[in-house]
Amino acid sequence: MDELNDGSKKSHKKPHSGRKAEKKDKKKNQHIQELTDAQRNPKAFTFNSAVRAERNFRRGQDIQTKKHHVPKVDRTPIEPPPILVVVVGPPKVGKSLLIHCLIKSFTKQPLTTLKGPVTVVTGKKRRITFMECNNDINSMIDLAKIADLVLLLIDASFGFEMEIFEFLNICQVHGMPKIMGVLTHLDMLKNTKALKKTKKTLKHRFWTEVYAGAKLFYLSGILHNEYLRNEVKNLGRFISVMKFRPLIWQMTHPYLLADRMEDLTSPEVLRQNDKADRTVSVYGYMRGIPLIKNSSVHIPGCGDFLLKDVSFLPDPCPLPEQLKKRALGEKERLIYAPFSGVGGIVYDKDAVYIELAGSHSHTKTSSGEQPVRDMVSNILESKNTLDSKIAQSEVQLFSNAAPILASEFQSESTNSNLPEGISLKHVDDNGRQRRKVVFNDDNDDDDGDNMEVDGDDDDEEDDEGIEKDNSDSDLSDVEVKKVDSADDDDSSEDDLMEDKTGLNWKSNLAQKAANAFLERQADSASLWKLVYGETKFQGIRGVRGKEEEGNKEEDLEEGLFKMVKQNEDKKLLEKDMMDLEDVTKKINKEQSRDWSQEAVRNTIKDCFVTGKWKSTEDARKLLHGDKIDDDDDDICDGDFEDLETGEKHEGKPEESTAEPEDEDKSKEKLAEKKKKLKEKFDVEYDDGKDGGDKTWYDELRREATEQAELNRKQFEDMDDALRVQLEGFRAGQRLIIELDKVPCELVTNFDASYPLIVGSLQPGEENVGFVKARVKKHRWFERILKTNDPLIISLGWRRFQTIAVYSKLEDNLRHRMLKYTPQHVACMAHFWGPITRTGTGLLAVQDVAARQSGFRIVATGTVLDTNQTTEITKKLKLTGVPYKIYKKTAFIKDMFNSNLEVARFEGARIKTVSNIRGQIKKAESKPEGAFRATFEDKIQLSDIVFCRTWYKVEVPKMYNPVTSLLLPAESKNSWRGMKTVGQLKREQGVHSQPQSDSLYSEIQRDPVVFKPLSIPRRLQKELPYRMKPKHRHNMRKNAPKLDRVAVVRDVEESKVASLMAKLKSNYKAKVRQQKREMSARVKQHRQTNHLEEMQRQRKRAEKIKSQHRKQAKKQNH
Amino acid sequence: MVGKNVLEFKGSQYMRQRLILSVVSGKPIKITQIRAKEDNPGLTEYEANLLRLLDKLTNGTWLEVSETGTAFSFSPGALIGGTLTHECCKLRGIGYYLEVLMALAPFCKKPLSIILRGVTCNQKDPSVDSFKQGALPVLRRFMVIDPGLELTIKKRGVEPLGGGEVHFVCPSIKQLKPIQLKDWGKVKKVRGTMFALRVSPALANRMVESAKGVFLNFIPDVFFTVDHLKGQAAGKSPGFGGSLYAETTDGVIFTSDCVSDCSAQSHSVPEDVGRNAAHALLDEISCGGCVDSAFQSLACLYMALTSKDVSKCVTGPLTPYTIKFLQHLREFFGLMFQLEPYRDPASDEFDQDDNRLRLGVNKVELTCVGIGYQKLV
Repeated sequence: MDELNDGSKKSHKKPHSGRKAEKKDKKKNQHIQELTDAQRNPKAFTFNSAVRAERNFRRGQDIQTKKHHVPKVDRTPIEPPPILVVVVGPPKVGKSLLIHCLIKSFTKQPLTTLKGPVTVVTGKKRRITFMECNNDINSMIDLAKIADLVLLLIDASFGFEMEIFEFLNICQVHGMPKIMGVLTHLDMLKNTKALKKTKKTLKHRFWTEVYAGAKLFYLSGILHNEYLRNEVKNLGRFISVMKFRPLIWQMTHPYLLADRMEDLTSPEVLRQNDKADRTVSVYGYMRGIPLIKNSSVHIPGCGDFLLKDVSFLPDPCPLPEQLKKRALGEKERLIYAPFSGVGGIVYDKDAVYIELAGSHSHTKTSSGEQPVRDMVSNILESKNTLDSKIAQSEVQLFSNAAPILASEFQSESTNSNLPEGISLKHVDDNGRQRRKVVFNDDNDDDDGDNMEVDGDDDDEEDDEGIEKDNSDSDLSDVEVKKVDSADDDDSSEDDLMEDKTGLNWKSNLAQKAANAFLERQADSASLWKLVYGETKFQGIRGVRGKEEEGNKEEDLEEGLFKMVKQNEDKKLLEKDMMDLEDVTKKINKEQSRDWSQEAVRNTIKDCFVTGKWKSTEDARKLLHGDKIDDDDDDICDGDFEDLETGEKHEGKPEESTAEPEDEDKSKEKLAEKKKKLKEKFDVEYDDGKDGGDKTWYDELRREATEQAELNRKQFEDMDDALRVQLEGFRAGQRLIIELDKVPCELVTNFDASYPLIVGSLQPGEENVGFVKARVKKHRWFERILKTNDPLIISLGWRRFQTIAVYSKLEDNLRHRMLKYTPQHVACMAHFWGPITRTGTGLLAVQDVAARQSGFRIVATGTVLDTNQTTEITKKLKLTGVPYKIYKKTAFIKDMFNSNLEVARFEGARIKTVSNIRGQIKKAESKPEGAFRATFEDKIQLSDIVFCRTWYKVEVPKMYNPVTSLLLPAESKNSWRGMKTVGQLKREQGVHSQPQSDSLYSEIQRDPVVFKPLSIPRRLQKELPYRMKPKHRHNMRKNAPKLDRVAVVRDVEESKVASLMAKLKSNYKAKVRQQKREMSARVKQHRQTNHLEEMQRQRKRAEKIKSQHRKQAKKQNH
Repeated sequence: MVGKNVLEFKGSQYMRQRLILSVVSGKPIKITQIRAKEDNPGLTEYEANLLRLLDKLTNGTWLEVSETGTAFSFSPGALIGGTLTHECCKLRGIGYYLEVLMALAPFCKKPLSIILRGVTCNQKDPSVDSFKQGALPVLRRFMVIDPGLELTIKKRGVEPLGGGEVHFVCPSIKQLKPIQLKDWGKVKKVRGTMFALRVSPALANRMVESAKGVFLNFIPDVFFTVDHLKGQAAGKSPGFGGSLYAETTDGVIFTSDCVSDCSAQSHSVPEDVGRNAAHALLDEISCGGCVDSAFQSLACLYMALTSKDVSKCVTGPLTPYTIKFLQHLREFFGLMFQLEPYRDPASDEFDQDDNRLRLGVNKVELTCVGIGYQKLV
């Protein structure tokens, strides 16, 4: 029971949940910071090693400095050109489909045919041009040079193909654009594990080629013959936010990818000769740096041309005007692709097709939305014929002149036929003549859409436009001339000038008459006239405004006559002047003023430090200004109290009675002052952030940004027509480039799927010379390259075939010719090619024609030098043999042919095979070409003497541009140039004959007979007995033989012996004679035999012949 | 290549400009009707000498002179530079050749180090002192760091026999940088050198005195040195002259020079020579700008050949030589300058005529975008 009672008392249970538990938990598990040793005991870890601190500092600086790059001036234009996205990949990988899908996702309308570049507005600040790269190494090379972004399509079910690596290699050489891999055909891999594995391996291989972490995109499959919509959309997003790095080649050259081309050759010329050189206009967006008008250009695959004319056009695919909205409206998602037929019109060779976009397109009445359709419908709806319309159209040249009817104009200009429904209207826009296209149709009232149409309309329209421009320029000539006549006291002109410059001209005319020359430079228009003659017509008009136009008309006719006369006068004057002495210094003693006069001297009084200063520079005022700046508060200007002395200083009280104008001025001044203060603060603050003082690097960076700002600001407000003259056609402008003398094949064999690039050349780059480049044979190309074999090189804009000579730069800076490129090392290549800047990458292929097997890129390299001569040498060893040898002097022959040659080589170093060095001394009179030489030691008669010389190798002057664009469409990728010797031999089955010297032959050696061993007597003495030669008599040559017994004959015996000897010799002579006779007999016998045999053979041959003849006769019968 | 792109000109005037631009741009030129109607037709000795100098400076230059010498075609090679010696023609001063060299030197492949012998100072051409004081600073403005530009005058020589020697060194420069020169400041000091060659040294002192008298009206900081040379260094002909320069607070230098007339009929008085030099310098100061008028064309060339950036420079009134040079620049490079009369932004406050700063004649503001010229090596 007790237990029970006790048990009734509950034991304490800890609360596991609830507020209390939480509270306790918190208290218990309070977080205590774990301190490191340095934190716990900071005193022990203070600064204790100056060396380490120095090292730390150094390392920090190193890291910081490594991040620095040379500051580049940012030259991107405000409205950049469309980004060029090139889609590359092997055939059948889904390139076209990807472009189709992307365009559809951007513009919401499908593209029926895809050919050539397609430009799309994708965002508020971004346009994209898509271009498909076909499987031709020419296209791959050209597009790699101009691409901003490359979409590299890879068939995941197959893996990487050679084309991809080739393209990557091309990119590496010509400046790496952004590259994004896209894996397609992923749905072919059914097994998820395999899919994962493939993705991983492909990704890692891709990373090693491009860079670790390069973006690889997966397109997982196809639905309804399209890639999955969200995947395409994601890819599109990636593209449209991508940032690009400037590439060196692209940032030093203007270029343009043609998206439209027209043939401007007159039909009459073509009728007479359809192979005549054409005049072609090429349309496209300007890229790179600004293009200057009279530069020469290169069209890869075609050749070099001079620009005939360049002008800019309104953009057919402009960025949206207002940026208020978040997304693009339907109207703003424009697409422009004339080659693909977007824009409503497809140009064929003999017809023009108009796309109607389905059967329901007519029902839409809101024509303003679709400008393209609008134009088409205009053409459809027009009732009048073209001629009648043109006759009705009118142009008003001057604001208050009677409009000129086109029918009047027609008589003068024969080929001015505009497309139906469109006419030209010259709009005077702020002084500049703009050509605006106006629809003559009644229902057309929308001016906003004219831009698009202008880009699309026929070239004739442009033709005429240019003509009109010319007529304008004539007028302005007159006008400029009039300004010139201001010097002839033409008072009305003076008034004119006065209007413009606001200078008080007449008041001090007398004084200024003396230096009229200087005064002519006093205003912009006459300055321009002075330097550039009549050409600034637009600019002048822009400055002067409109009021002059009225004046102009009345003395138009008179002015024309005046102009002719003036022109003649000018020519005469020029003729007189053209042989004057060429001096820089002004020799104008008559113009020079008389400096001894006080008045004259006073005119330059303020040029000296002793003179008056500008307010911004005046020392006193600056001092005053500083005080203001130092004061925190602007209001207490000069008002302060000296606390120490208790003195009160009071600045001049501001005149409160100032007029409102002054108030405005003071406000402005205040604002300016504040701005200055702010700038000062900003500068100081930024400096503080960077670590105190300004470094040289910061200074450079600041300069670069300032320059960029200036570049942007300088011509910002200027009229475009004038601006392009000063700065060139900047990137982002849409241009029409007219080219002259283009081969007709470019037009007749034009294929839009091959890129037509117009790349401008910098001054000097249009020339050819010897190029020295460091090249390395590509490790994937199996063979090595041979000197003097033709090679197709891609360098700069150009692709050309040339003959390269390889060399090795030796330690003494001599270029020694190599017959073949080394296997794994870089060597020099010299060839005759276009002059290109040092450091430009180059790439070589042996054959651009389609060849399936192997890697097509044979070598890569960079240009090291360009020059007009080369200095490659080849070793040439001259050999000779000594014919007489004294102690250290030897006479050597067979090295030279004449004494003159020897004289050239006097003092040259020579060497024997056994490396005894010597020197050529002097020629000997006999034999011719022999000379005396001295050596460091005595040489042997059997020695061969060498003289090493260096022989200059000429590089063949072969430059043959690859004209792949001129080939007919079916054979565009099979351009054939010069073949290598090897190729030719292989084709014709020719084997080269080996040199007989080089052939191996049986080695025949005589058996060696050694001399008997002879041991000197002194040595023999010292030898142990067992080693001593045992037969003493053998030792001496003529020692009498001991083992023979001397025979002493008596008289009888000697008689017998002599008789025997006589008999023996008699017999010998007999045998010899018999032998001689026998050999003569045999010889004669053989001869007779041989003759008989010959006769017999001849007879046999004749017999066979006659038999054959008989047979042949029989057969004929 | 294009090949047929030959620019044709007539007459001998401005031949140097044409040659300079031809070499820099790589475009071949053809000049016809050289003194065709004069008593001595064809190229003169000094022009032929200049062509030889260009041949030394380049590699692969091709030149064909017609039989009469009244026409020639010139196809430029690669600008090499290197260490050279050149005997200049004595009809023109070394300045005639230095102008070409100054224009081409920054674009040479190798550093240029050249010894020129001839007439250091004559009536027509800027003297070598002017180049040293005036032209080198112009080039220095276009460089990021001065890599050791140098012009040393070893010997002086006047017409007719010359005997002067000048050593010009220009290291190779990667690229010229754009400039923005809008302020030229005020003249703070006037310096100069007077020389008397093979005549009494007292003549130089007399020149100093007269020249100094002119400048002391304006500024106290005037200092002229007398450079009296002896023996070889004094050249082969007697004569005297001087070269003055004025430096502004912003480092702009104006130069002038004057030399005694060596012709037999007229004898120069040293006082006159000194005064003329001083007056010429006053003329130059009155023209003003950030570049001396003799070197305007040089500045224009450098401005044109910078990177694709905006350059600005205020100069005095354009000389006829500069005007022609600008025209030639357009012909060779298609480059046009924006020409505006210079208006001082701070001059608004001096509204009244009497209050306006008296800074000599009107200035011109040249603005251009460089063509992005890059040395091919």
